[in-house]
Amino acid sequence: MEALLPRFRAAHTQVLGVSIDSIHCHANWARDLGGISFPLLSDFEPKGAMADSMGAYLSGAGITDRATVLIDSGGTVRHASSVGPAGERDIAELAALCESVDSTAGTPTQDAPTPKGLGKDAVLYVKKPCGFSRRVRVAVDNLHETGLEIRNVSEDASALAALKAATGSETAPCLVLDGKPVLEADQIVRTLAERLAPIG
Amino acid sequence: MIDEGRTAPTFALNDQFSRKVSLEDFRDRQHVLLVFYPLDWTPT
Repeated sequence: MEALLPRFRAAHTQVLGVSIDSIHCHANWARDLGGISFPLLSDFEPKGAMADSMGAYLSGAGITDRATVLIDSGGTVRHASSVGPAGERDIAELAALCESVDSTAGTPTQDAPTPKGLGKDAVLYVKKPCGFSRRVRVAVDNLHETGLEIRNVSEDASALAALKAATGSETAPCLVLDGKPVLEADQIVRTLAERLAPIG
Repeated sequence: MIDEGRTAPTFALNDQFSRKVSLEDFRDRQHVLLVFYPLDWTPT
């Protein structure tokens, strides 16, 4: 799926994965697969409610069906199908479906957002061991961001000094972006995603 | 499964990057392909 994202993007289509797992489970699993940059939605509370609204929740099993729903930019359902929980989806076929709907239902009237990038001076300060730092690094991997400088303040005194000089504090994780510190793991992860894989 | 031709019910859920993602975010901008799967750590 990740490999075919450019084809979906060219068909003006945003791919959204959905299951009943938590966002943390999503993030770690996605990295294990080699990184997933498109949103994986957590249909977690109330469990399966969104899937149920699309007829894709298997209430007896407590999981979502392996179903696919295509909604055009005007909000109309153009395709809904399932291969069953144990089935296999044909991703190339889905890309062709999106291309066909894009040409028949009409190309969206507004442009999708384009990634701004982080800028060459961005630095991510992390510490170890630290669950928050780990969460941020998982996000960096899911976004396939290989150019970002990552410095470990627990193992490198010069990194700690640089963090203190840049922010006036030793708090990590900290993303220094455009010369300004971004603190809190959730806020850092959101900021990275908005710069590298914006949605909307 | 939901019927084709219907207006999709709206949703707003969190993603793996702690963002609230809503169907409305994509209105007039992009089509949306919802790829449901049973559980993480199983094939997509």
